[in-house]
Amino acid sequence: MTSMSGAEAIAAQTDYLAEFRIGSEPYYRPVGQEIALFDAAYQARMPIMLKGPTGCGKTRFVEHMAWRLKRPLITVSCHEDMTASDLVGRYLLDADGTVWHDGPLTLAVRLGAICYLDEIVEARQDTTVVIHSLTDDRRILPLEKKNEVLPAHPDFQVVISYNPGYQSVLKDLKESTKQRFGAIAFSYPEPAIEAEIVAREAGVERRIADTLVRIAQRSRNLKGHGLDEGASTRMLINAGLLAAKGIPLADACQVAMVLPITDDPELRDALTAAIAACM
Amino acid sequence: MNARHAAAADPALSLKENQAFPGEWGEQWRAARRRIEQAGYGGAIAAAYRRHGVELALLASPQAALRLGRAVSELAIRAGRRAAAALPEAALAAAGKPAEQMVLTRWFELVELVARQAPESVPPLLEGTGKLLAILDGAGFEAFVRMGLAAGRGDPERRLRFFRREDDEARHFLDREAGMTDFLALEGRLKSYYTALWGLRPAIREVPREAPDHLRRRVGFGGGVVRVPAAFPGFSAEDSRNLYHAALAHVGAHHRFTKSPFPAGKLKPLQVAVISLIEDARVERLAMAELPGLAALWRPFHGARPGGAAIAVGLMARLARALVDGDYADPDGWVAKGRALFEEAFAADPADQDFSRRIGGLLGNDLGQMRLQFDAKTYVVQPAYRDDNLGIWDFADQEDQAAFEMEQMIETARIETEERDDGEPDRQEPDPDPQDEVNRVSLRAEEENGVLVARYAEFDHATGRERPEWCALREYAPKTASAASIARLLDERADLTQRLTALISASRISRQERVRRQTDGEFLDIDACIEASITRRMGQTPDPRVHGRYERRSRDLCVHLLIDVSRSTGENVSGAARTVLDIERHAAALMAQAMDGLGDPFAIAAFCSDTREDVRYLRVKDFAKPYDSAARARLAGLESGLSTRLGAAIRHAGADLRSQQTYRRLLLLITDGEPSDVDVDDGDYLVEDARAAVHALNRDGIDVFCIALDCDAESYAERIFGRRNVVAFSAIERLPEKLPALYLRLTA
Repeated sequence: MTSMSGAEAIAAQTDYLAEFRIGSEPYYRPVGQEIALFDAAYQARMPIMLKGPTGCGKTRFVEHMAWRLKRPLITVSCHEDMTASDLVGRYLLDADGTVWHDGPLTLAVRLGAICYLDEIVEARQDTTVVIHSLTDDRRILPLEKKNEVLPAHPDFQVVISYNPGYQSVLKDLKESTKQRFGAIAFSYPEPAIEAEIVAREAGVERRIADTLVRIAQRSRNLKGHGLDEGASTRMLINAGLLAAKGIPLADACQVAMVLPITDDPELRDALTAAIAACM
Repeated sequence: MNARHAAAADPALSLKENQAFPGEWGEQWRAARRRIEQAGYGGAIAAAYRRHGVELALLASPQAALRLGRAVSELAIRAGRRAAAALPEAALAAAGKPAEQMVLTRWFELVELVARQAPESVPPLLEGTGKLLAILDGAGFEAFVRMGLAAGRGDPERRLRFFRREDDEARHFLDREAGMTDFLALEGRLKSYYTALWGLRPAIREVPREAPDHLRRRVGFGGGVVRVPAAFPGFSAEDSRNLYHAALAHVGAHHRFTKSPFPAGKLKPLQVAVISLIEDARVERLAMAELPGLAALWRPFHGARPGGAAIAVGLMARLARALVDGDYADPDGWVAKGRALFEEAFAADPADQDFSRRIGGLLGNDLGQMRLQFDAKTYVVQPAYRDDNLGIWDFADQEDQAAFEMEQMIETARIETEERDDGEPDRQEPDPDPQDEVNRVSLRAEEENGVLVARYAEFDHATGRERPEWCALREYAPKTASAASIARLLDERADLTQRLTALISASRISRQERVRRQTDGEFLDIDACIEASITRRMGQTPDPRVHGRYERRSRDLCVHLLIDVSRSTGENVSGAARTVLDIERHAAALMAQAMDGLGDPFAIAAFCSDTREDVRYLRVKDFAKPYDSAARARLAGLESGLSTRLGAAIRHAGADLRSQQTYRRLLLLITDGEPSDVDVDDGDYLVEDARAAVHALNRDGIDVFCIALDCDAESYAERIFGRRNVVAFSAIERLPEKLPALYLRLTA
């Protein structure tokens, strides 16, 4: 059935995997124990769940850890229409017949990468169960269609991210999925640290970064009172990037924060007024 | 006699009159003048008409002057000579406004309307015309007049007060119009603004209309409530906006930095005022350290300058400015002393609120020794954005007037629906939040008369404007009867229950979902296609299910059943022993049974009304509550009575539905007649108001459907709900049987 021998395929994929290696250190400013915790979890190959609001640094943290552990990182952004085949792989047609194509999860399992399933609640619950056999002591991935049981590479680890803020009853993890993971909680950093991050990532003066963080706190006060989520660190960095290009700070905040975050004109007015109070 | 009569009949026109009435107008003017002079109204009226008529012709047009003549006659007959004599001058005031001819014409009509319906109110209305039109435009004036006529229906005293602008409702309306940007328009953003700045969410409410004047002019807080004036008259729209923001930022600073209230003890009013001033400056200074932009918001309102009369209030305003504005220079010794003391203490420990007390006490004494005048009764905190300072004082151990008044305020403060959880009536599940303690106390007192939960605007189709807070919606606890009677009702027609349940469970109301691997459908399922292809090449039989389609599979709707229990529903259905209400009850029970079995969220409420001050709303079942025997007992206990003020009930039910998160939201109304109420004569008024209420709900994505148990329902129900959203039954007793089919139509 397959056109390549197993060894050839692995060789080809090893090259392929090079793209998933992280060359230079991604900037990450630790705010607590998270690096030590993740390190320990990885030593035990424990599946890890990163919990926290959007834009607080979950993805950056995984990249940083992959770099630190010198493992390739395969990221899958989950979505509603994703099927188990999209994760595991499928037969495709070519001129001579059919060829098996590993999905991203299979690739990571075979070659020992960290597989990062971003926003896993977006995927349907029957899709996410494929990771069950990988996240308990079996550490195997059955490829039903291929009639193969793939034992996980010793370096393989599953990491998922999970935003507890916006899941609804319909979009939540199964209890059996949740209970396979250790979890590290993320939130927006302390003001001083957040300002440091914004200043560095956006390349703005500390004074401007401080103001941006103050503004963010105002918007976070509105969480649950009109906003589903306050302005994230990512939004602050975006605003800072605009400001660094010479856009006045108030305008930068409009573009990068107020307009994206809500469609409610009253809330926009309130936010704009609150931003004025911060400057 | 003859000669005099001839002279009066054909007087020569003055130069001015010739100017005002060129050509043919001259003759008509002469005739109009003659009519007034010969009608026997008296010399004063004739003189006023002659003098002001000419000016009116010059200012507006000759037609206007002739129209004035007709109006003078009408008023003289209907409202008396005093009113008629005042009319010409008032007309001049009305015309003096840069308004077009149409407005003046309308003004005449309105004055004549008042003369017909409320003759006693004409003089105050005429006297006030100038002032009213300075605030209101033409449409606003009309809205004011119509409100006055409606508010004082059958009560000349009330009407007089209204048109003298002494009535609370009149004052409230004018306050709003005068301030342009009023609290109501800003309410949503102000609440969010406050929360954004301070991370707190107190109840923010308009100062009640019945509050004394000085409390209606400044922001205040206490008891978990922030009280905000309805409008700040005298400020432009832009300034009002900033003023509201500045005021809330200031109150928030108190909430954050004034840790405990100051004991008032035996302090004199002047000392209280000065200590408050220092504390205001202290919390503002702290707030500005955190939010530097607030300085730009607050500073423009500090307009005090050196000079002026040596009164305490003036000096205090200057000190207030000196403490906020570092660049401000003031030669006064007292101000300089205050500034030095404040800066020294603030530098030492800004978080120490006792220094406000200390410094304020000192400065207050100084002012007292300077023998400057200070009248505590008329004192209003300056500048306008600062709060009345009642919130930072503890008057506990003395019967202080101010404290007493504040308690009164909170007692009477409006209880707004949005401050409660999910529309639960407070009396059923008292909110454990101690901040609401005060509200609850007053709620209990009002139990008998229902609980005032909201005031809703009503739409006046004649002016195309809303009358703000016109209807008081009160929730009453429904009486209960045996829940078993509902079960019996359903048992009688078990077949119906079953049919309806089957139908509801089959109807699919939800977001679309993609269904894969179907034998037919609107798109190809790529995964299935590839698999089929592969299977075929492997020489096996492929699975033919390679299509997919979009489908609504799950149920996602909620229904709010609103039952009209006005008096007419108590009548027996022709040829049956059951009343209309019995039929409604049966239908509601059927629906409830079916929806409960399916797990669809639903609510049931009933309504009736007794004038706009008492629109009654009875909650039978809320969305969050189970459909248990208590709910059944309430449904069984509904009784007929009073009138049908539909609009307010729809608005209130809509508020509940709005908070529901389902894909489809449906308000299902069962009524037996057109909206009416004892204080409304205009048959179209309530119909149009209900229509406006339905439109508002539709705009929010809520469907409103009406079951009209009335053969001539077409006349009003279709106007209110739209033709597609009404089912009219003439054979009422068949409603329960028809419900299933109806439901199909609703959810199709």
